[in-house]
Amino acid sequence: MTKPKIASDWLGGCAGCHMSLLDMDERIAKVIELADLRATPITDLKHPDESGVDVGVLEGGINNSTNEEVAHLMRKRCKILVALGDCAVFGGVPAMRNFFTIEETLRRAYIETESTDSEGKIPDDPELARPTRVRALQEVVPVDIFVPGCPPDADTIFHVLAELAQGRRPVLKDDLLHWH
Amino acid sequence: MVTISIDGQKIEVPEGTTVLNAARKAGIHIPTLCDHPHLKPYGGCRLCMVDIEGFRTLQAACTLPATNNMMIKTDSEDIRKARKFVLTLIFSERNHFCPYCQVSGSDCELQNAAYYEGMTHWPLQPNWQPYPMDASHPYFILEHNRCILCRRCIRACSDLVGVNTLGVEQRGAKTFVIADLNVPLGESTCVSCGMCTQVCPTGALIDRRSAYRGQNTTVDRRSTVCVGCSIGCGLQAVTRDGLLIRIDGDWNAAINGGVTCKVGRFYPVTDDRERITTPMVRQNGALKAATWEEAIQAAAEKIQAAGVNGTAALASTRLPAESLFLFRQVFAEGLKSDMVTSLEEGSKTALLSDIAARQAKPFEGSLDAVNQAGAFLVLGADLIEEHEVLGFFVRRRFPEGVQLIVIDSDENSMQYMVHCGLAPRKHTEKALLHGLYAAVAKLGQNQTAYTGQADEEVALASQTTGIASDLLLEAAFKLAGSSNPVIIYNPRTLDEAVLAELLQLAQTTGAALLSIKGGANAFAAAQFGLDRPFALNGHTVAYVALGDDNLSEKMIKQLEKAPSLIVQASHSSKLTAQADVVFPVAAWLEQEGHYLNFTGQLQVAHKVLDPREGIWTNEAVLAAIAQRLGLVYQDGWKDALVSRAAPVHIVA
Repeated sequence: MTKPKIASDWLGGCAGCHMSLLDMDERIAKVIELADLRATPITDLKHPDESGVDVGVLEGGINNSTNEEVAHLMRKRCKILVALGDCAVFGGVPAMRNFFTIEETLRRAYIETESTDSEGKIPDDPELARPTRVRALQEVVPVDIFVPGCPPDADTIFHVLAELAQGRRPVLKDDLLHWH
Repeated sequence: MVTISIDGQKIEVPEGTTVLNAARKAGIHIPTLCDHPHLKPYGGCRLCMVDIEGFRTLQAACTLPATNNMMIKTDSEDIRKARKFVLTLIFSERNHFCPYCQVSGSDCELQNAAYYEGMTHWPLQPNWQPYPMDASHPYFILEHNRCILCRRCIRACSDLVGVNTLGVEQRGAKTFVIADLNVPLGESTCVSCGMCTQVCPTGALIDRRSAYRGQNTTVDRRSTVCVGCSIGCGLQAVTRDGLLIRIDGDWNAAINGGVTCKVGRFYPVTDDRERITTPMVRQNGALKAATWEEAIQAAAEKIQAAGVNGTAALASTRLPAESLFLFRQVFAEGLKSDMVTSLEEGSKTALLSDIAARQAKPFEGSLDAVNQAGAFLVLGADLIEEHEVLGFFVRRRFPEGVQLIVIDSDENSMQYMVHCGLAPRKHTEKALLHGLYAAVAKLGQNQTAYTGQADEEVALASQTTGIASDLLLEAAFKLAGSSNPVIIYNPRTLDEAVLAELLQLAQTTGAALLSIKGGANAFAAAQFGLDRPFALNGHTVAYVALGDDNLSEKMIKQLEKAPSLIVQASHSSKLTAQADVVFPVAAWLEQEGHYLNFTGQLQVAHKVLDPREGIWTNEAVLAAIAQRLGLVYQDGWKDALVSRAAPVHIVA
């Protein structure tokens, strides 16, 4: 039997969930024993295999047009999509900006911050991603497994990956389930 | 009793028990949110849905009374689905984001309920409508984004403290918790008791001081007793790593049942007075840090130099009974000073003791009388400015139709809520009370024999006090016409003649008497005989056992005149700045000791915090002084407490 393939990527997050993934220490060898770790932000491959993977993991919410594209690509190329961390599951800390308009947030970030010494300028290069309202992953693509936490514990992530690699649906409860 | 079956378990419960309480009795957990064990059931959140055989739909367990042979199921696919749906709707209504909420982790009942259902996400996203935050209050913040409209805060504000500041406006999804007619909390009629913060299940009411400083799983809780006034409310001191972070009312305390006021909850936590950390002795005109040995020696020399009757001694009634008794032994019995008293010297509790001695029995009632009373007569006491929890106990009974009569010749904050307010001319209380006594007789409701001329006496009282006869009759009617009336009075404002009239009025109306006693241990101080008015009277040394109390400007002015001043105090103040010897002592939570409350209940205030190195308890300082002066003292404060007749039966 071939090992299931796992790929991951990050969207509007802080990379903390991937740090928490690394925090599982030597158990990462166990994951590699059980699964074929493919493209991730912390490995050399950058895009999930065109031929598809079994499990796709996404960290972060959908904050802009690029996040949308990445999410759709991952959804298209994976069988099971995992929303990893509070930003992917709920919107998380970046979602605080939803209480303001995009214009207000951009103005605050690029013009009105205390550290902006000259006039400041909102970046408007057409090649840049277009910021959008912050959405949870499930608002953009269907999600199969939700792993909340800010970040989820290494124990939780290990449990999820190990269960998926062995063909089981992970169930989060008790110590493995928290939203903060 | 009714017999019911919950999840196949048969139990018997008294008639009227709700299904929820029956389940609790059977040890079966039903998740709840709006329900609170100390508030009336409300049935607002619908999380406690259960399946009852024969009912068409799921029922809310918190409001449904159990009936005979009821077959209840608390767990099924349908029930779990309903609970998840309820939680889904609550999460989608406002903006609940756990990573940056102070109660996330173990204190949030909403989060705990979601975990209990194994929810990993919200099926519906929030509507991203930003809600305002009210940060106008000095002690807590109302964050509407996290409010689930369970109305616990509103019920606490009305059912527990009777203040009714909080309410809601609008309805449905637009419902909003508001203060008064939608004014900022900080500008509202809020009395800052903080009960709303204690019952809030989510992070909507944020205690400014303790937010983010610890959670149920990381803090220590210890029960103790408030020393803010003579009620003696039970409190829970919440500490973390040896630091006080919050104070909650102790739900299990018999006296207050969890209710407390700002004096108990917020004042100690926000106390920013500077602590004294080392003994100090005045040398060449300036206070200099000294060792304990040097300070005790300096104090002893001053006291000895003053000779017999040279030392006037004053103690705070915030000190434990043990310290007060030792204080008396050192100064009254050991040094034979004729001026050994407490800061409550004006409270006249001694007057009550004298009357009790003459009558050879206590004449005041128990606190429970407050819960039975049909009417209250409050004499000379402002239960908003002092002994506020007693005021809450009165005010929360207003919805039952109880009547409040207030007699005060001064400004009284309760004036705006009275059913009958009597403001007599100054010093005419005696005539007023006699007028009421006669008015009761005139109405034919006197329970004791009356021989006077009622019409004339009422008219005379009206003339003397400046209060219309009709009003006197109305007050008499409200008082005598109610069941189990209670008279609450402040002895500080009364003399013996007024008190005699008061006792007569209480007898003829069958009213129970309750007097507020002042400071936490003012009653104990009176029992120890520390009750005369303070005056320096040529004493050359003044010894002030202040503890963590404050002194009035007037008292400081008086003490300034003493040639030598020795102070034991927790905090720097004008008084310690003038002292010749200063001893740093433990504050309230740093020492163990007994307190006698206003209805004669003896309670222990437990030590919760360790004082910093080099700070002694009040008792240790007094003992060291006694030893240095070669005075003998013994334990016996409990006997001394009951050796003097008291206005109320002392349970020691």
